[in-house]
Amino acid sequence: MEDLSLPKIDYAAVAPMLILFGVACVGVLFEGVLPKAARRVTQLVLALLGLVAALSVIVWQSDTRVLTAGGAVAIDGPTLFLQGAIIVLGIMALLLIGDRAMEHGGAFVAQAAITVGSEADRKQAVKEQGATEVYPLTVFAIAGMLLFVAANDLLTMFVALEVFSLPLYLLCALARRRRLLSQEAALKYFLLGAYASAFFLFGVALVYGFAGGVEFGTIHDSVTESTQSTVLLYAGLAMIAIGLLFKAAAAPFHVWTPDVYQGAPTPITGLMAACTKVAAFGGLLRVLYVGFDGVAWDYTPILGVVAVLTMLIGAVLAVTQTDIKRLLAYSSIANAGYLLVGVLALSKDGLSSTMFYLVAYGFTVIAAFGVVTLVRDADGEATHLSRWAGLGRRSPLYAGIFTFILLAFAGIPLTSGFIAKFAVFGAALDSGEAWLVVFGVVTSMLLAFPYLRVVVMMWLSEPGESTPTVSIPGGLTAAALVIGVVATLVLGVAPAPLLDLTTSAADFVR
Amino acid sequence: MRPVIPYVTAALLFGLGVYGVLRRRNAVLVLMSVELMLNAVNLILITADTTVRAALPQTGQVFALFVIVIAAAEVGVGLAIVLQLYRLRATVAVDDVPLEKVDA
Amino acid sequence: MHDTVEYAHASGLLSSVWLLIAIPLASAAILLLLGKRADKWGHWLGVASVGVSFVLGLTYFFQLRGLDNRAVELSLFDYIEVGSLHVDFGLLFDPLSAVFVLLITGVGSLIHLYAVGYMEHDAGRRRFFGYFNLFVAAMLLLVLGNNFVMLYIGWEGVGLASYLLISFWVERPSAATAGKKAFLMNRVGDAGFAIAIFLMFAQLGTTQYDEVFNGIGAVASGTVLIMGLLLLLGATGKSGQFPLQAWLPDAMEGPTPVSALIHAATMVTAGVYLIARSNPIFTANETLQTVVVSVGALTLLIGCIIGCAKDDIKRVLAWSTVSQIGYMFLGVGLGGAAYALAIVHLLAHGFFKAGLFLGAGSVMHGMHDQTDIRRFGGLWRYMRITWATFGLAWLAIIGLPPLSGFFSKEPIIVAAYEREGWTAWLFGTAALIGAGVTAFYMTRLFVLTFHGPKRWTEDIDHPHESPPVMTVPLVLLAVGSVAAGGLMASSVPDWLVPALGDHSGEEVHAVMSHGLITALSIVVTLLGAGLAYALFRNGTALQEQPAGPVVTAARRNLYADAFNEAVFEKPGIFLTRALVFLDNRGIDGLVNGLAAAVGGGSSRLRRLQTGFVRSYAMSMLTGALLVVAAFLALQLGWLA
Repeated sequence: MEDLSLPKIDYAAVAPMLILFGVACVGVLFEGVLPKAARRVTQLVLALLGLVAALSVIVWQSDTRVLTAGGAVAIDGPTLFLQGAIIVLGIMALLLIGDRAMEHGGAFVAQAAITVGSEADRKQAVKEQGATEVYPLTVFAIAGMLLFVAANDLLTMFVALEVFSLPLYLLCALARRRRLLSQEAALKYFLLGAYASAFFLFGVALVYGFAGGVEFGTIHDSVTESTQSTVLLYAGLAMIAIGLLFKAAAAPFHVWTPDVYQGAPTPITGLMAACTKVAAFGGLLRVLYVGFDGVAWDYTPILGVVAVLTMLIGAVLAVTQTDIKRLLAYSSIANAGYLLVGVLALSKDGLSSTMFYLVAYGFTVIAAFGVVTLVRDADGEATHLSRWAGLGRRSPLYAGIFTFILLAFAGIPLTSGFIAKFAVFGAALDSGEAWLVVFGVVTSMLLAFPYLRVVVMMWLSEPGESTPTVSIPGGLTAAALVIGVVATLVLGVAPAPLLDLTTSAADFVR
Repeated sequence: MRPVIPYVTAALLFGLGVYGVLRRRNAVLVLMSVELMLNAVNLILITADTTVRAALPQTGQVFALFVIVIAAAEVGVGLAIVLQLYRLRATVAVDDVPLEKVDA
Repeated sequence: MHDTVEYAHASGLLSSVWLLIAIPLASAAILLLLGKRADKWGHWLGVASVGVSFVLGLTYFFQLRGLDNRAVELSLFDYIEVGSLHVDFGLLFDPLSAVFVLLITGVGSLIHLYAVGYMEHDAGRRRFFGYFNLFVAAMLLLVLGNNFVMLYIGWEGVGLASYLLISFWVERPSAATAGKKAFLMNRVGDAGFAIAIFLMFAQLGTTQYDEVFNGIGAVASGTVLIMGLLLLLGATGKSGQFPLQAWLPDAMEGPTPVSALIHAATMVTAGVYLIARSNPIFTANETLQTVVVSVGALTLLIGCIIGCAKDDIKRVLAWSTVSQIGYMFLGVGLGGAAYALAIVHLLAHGFFKAGLFLGAGSVMHGMHDQTDIRRFGGLWRYMRITWATFGLAWLAIIGLPPLSGFFSKEPIIVAAYEREGWTAWLFGTAALIGAGVTAFYMTRLFVLTFHGPKRWTEDIDHPHESPPVMTVPLVLLAVGSVAAGGLMASSVPDWLVPALGDHSGEEVHAVMSHGLITALSIVVTLLGAGLAYALFRNGTALQEQPAGPVVTAARRNLYADAFNEAVFEKPGIFLTRALVFLDNRGIDGLVNGLAAAVGGGSSRLRRLQTGFVRSYAMSMLTGALLVVAAFLALQLGWLA
């Protein structure tokens, strides 16, 4: 037997992931050793410090372009950009997760094992401090996402997929209020997620059978050179795409999204809507652009149909929603469609505009869910749309912020949403995907309607008996809101710097 | 070596798993069905390892090990969630209680 | 072929042209952000900001007159830059935008002033002025942008502001519905416009006006046609033209100053601006011009026919706006020298229609918000100023010489007769008939409102004239209605040459002599007006009378609503239901629960929004099988 030679690892390049995994492990240890009272602050500070440290390393490493860990991890422009985006959005989500000002003890259940409806449950709902396990779990999830967008072979991608999904399944189940809903959502998300990742893995195995390896470089070479039957390749690619489209919430693999977005604790919904979306599309971009670009002509029409279906389902069904979280879920589905349009441009512009879209959308959507956490009554958040009527009279400031956010979703000019849509549609058009652009423009016009309906409801209705109050946000939520709104505005008025950044980052290493 | 037999077996196992997910109401059984799908993949990986001229030898077997570990983690998380739900509801059927009615 | 378009760089005073937009915008921000603290003085800030913009606009206007190249461009910063896409955040101040700036800020200040009085008793007056200023800023951006994306930004902005303003009186459910309708119909148009912009990018790689216009000659004629039709769709949506005309009259649910500013003088003319601005695109394709002319002629007839059948003072005026904009579309569609004629009519219309709307508002103010003209009558004795100003505006709109409508409308009729072949007869005669019918329904409106016996509701005993803050704008607008046409008829076309091209040397032949057409148009006008006077000088029935099919059709807006419902709404609802159904029940729901869902209404559909893991898994599997099958099918096709 020959000697094992360990692959070289560029530790500086993978440091952000190492830092976050380390921080998460330390967080788990803290759960065991620290007294209950000290945990929350320590965990929150630790998690934030970890994220900031990881972000600093990414900025410091911003010129790195290497394949490392035996070719399993690619640190290149898109990786660094998307990792940075995930961390920044993760910090915002963490601020929402950490805030306990609106609800005593925060948005999370104290002990998940308490039976719903029991005396102990009523007690925990109003008195006890929320669980602090959420912080290490969140950091694990974010670290997994960093690895996911950096993964340069399908197996690493699969491992990363599970590493960021498993904590998310758990986080979904931890809502303080409406716990049955939350746990149902978690179970559903878990079962369907596991089901989708089984498909993904099946696809990996098929591609392995075709190419004899799972590295994107190897796949690329055999796609262009191989003379054997391509049945395995196509079936494998289709199944891999299914796994990724599930995470990205594209139709018809979106079915879990409304239930899970509604049931999960709102800060976690924000985390999923922003960061998971970045990660899922980061992965999809790398798979399609690096691994399978040789068969681009074949998959473009199929994924184009998926994109059209996604936009259509998201936009049309958003109109019928009566719950604000479900409405945002369908909006997130439609946005997955617009992102797919950018991805399918299959050009440098497509890559950079998709990355821009991900960041712009992430900032806005976290701010949106931040506002949702503020509108509450005695039973927690009031998410039914009828309850939002007249909110503009009760709290002009927050209704104004939410209005601005909705306008950004609707792609009204001078918000980041307009530039983002403009950029992806422009890129798709440059690549000759005019039909996608037509569907995109039409559905985004359609999608503006439910948003405007909410705006009108907030401003132009009289507040009724049941109009909930808007809580004064704690400092952390306020910070997240300010970041989100300012970013939405700045990216709408002066998008040039970020567009430049995405353009200069838009090169994969192979 | 005739790879057809293990390949067909694996495909059958995968199909069986999919069928289980679709037909079983018990969450634990759904979970087991998903595991069955993953194990079908393991079978393919190991079969492929012996038949494909891989870039690196034995990679398929190594992948199978990874998959087994991940599947174990998945079962851990999954059973935790199912157990939770059982405590709350005293049932593990996945579609007994419609989501919106329990909006409490 | 068109001359090369070239814009000079702004320098000196003109480099501060962005102030025009910034001032109302800042005022809007102050009014909306300060909240109740600004309630006391907010409305005066609103008026002042538009007034200042007007003065600035005048200054820039005179500055521009002194220049050799009367089109200056001001690039503020790079707005969007991705790959080959480049959009400049820049402004263009040329003769065309200059006249629009003056119209918007001039008429706008008067209407703002009027609104101070009109909205006096409304608790939301400050908010109202905030939205109003926002609208003015967006409208100015629309006309000042130097590329189509900027135009689109302003376009969306005015749409948004007008949506807020229509729904301003939310306690009226009809107002909220009207807001919705306006929004939806505008979205149809906006989608067309947006796609046209993307098409421009794809074909020309730019949206800057000068580059687009200089490059349009190299684009295939079919593409130009599609681009133009999409732009036209956008224009019809915003301007309430066929086939998207139905929203405009419903938008009258908003406060009257809104109707005057947005739905008469400025925003609805944005479509005309769009076509006039993109005149090189429209001139490049003859089919396109014919389509625009047809839309204009059809709409002007639709508008004036329905206008005859309506009894609500604001709705009659609204349909008259639809009809008058039809004339402008006719003008821009005719092309050549008629572009400038359309703009002249647009400006003249801005004056007299704003005057008519504000006069109507003044009548409503004195009559407890009554809008039914069958319930007016004999008001001239009580509201002398309103009567006199409304009367002048009425004479102007029906086009009697020497008032402004004559100088602006009659040349368009002449130009229509100057087309080649039989279409000259078709469009010319349509325009001529339109003039007669306009005279009929406007006279009916005027006579029923101000003359004849009193038919007031019991709760009114002595209607009062409006306060000076409302009558002063009326008087100023009346002066404009009288004088503007004669002043502008020759000067404006000359002034617009740099933007719309020089057509003075072109030889044209009308199918009839110019004098004959003029005489004919005066005759049909007098006939229409005389007929209406004879029919209505003794008042009218208080209730809607049974009528023949034509009148009923006109009362029902020529069944446009029914058409929209059948063609757009019903399929939309069906699509939504189908998607909801598929989405919630998955594929096995399709098999098991088809009967249940089809038979059920919306409540049942909502109950189906439950999450069944298994049916979700089934839809995913079906999706997966389809995707895999599609890939394999492609692959097999590739083998064969």
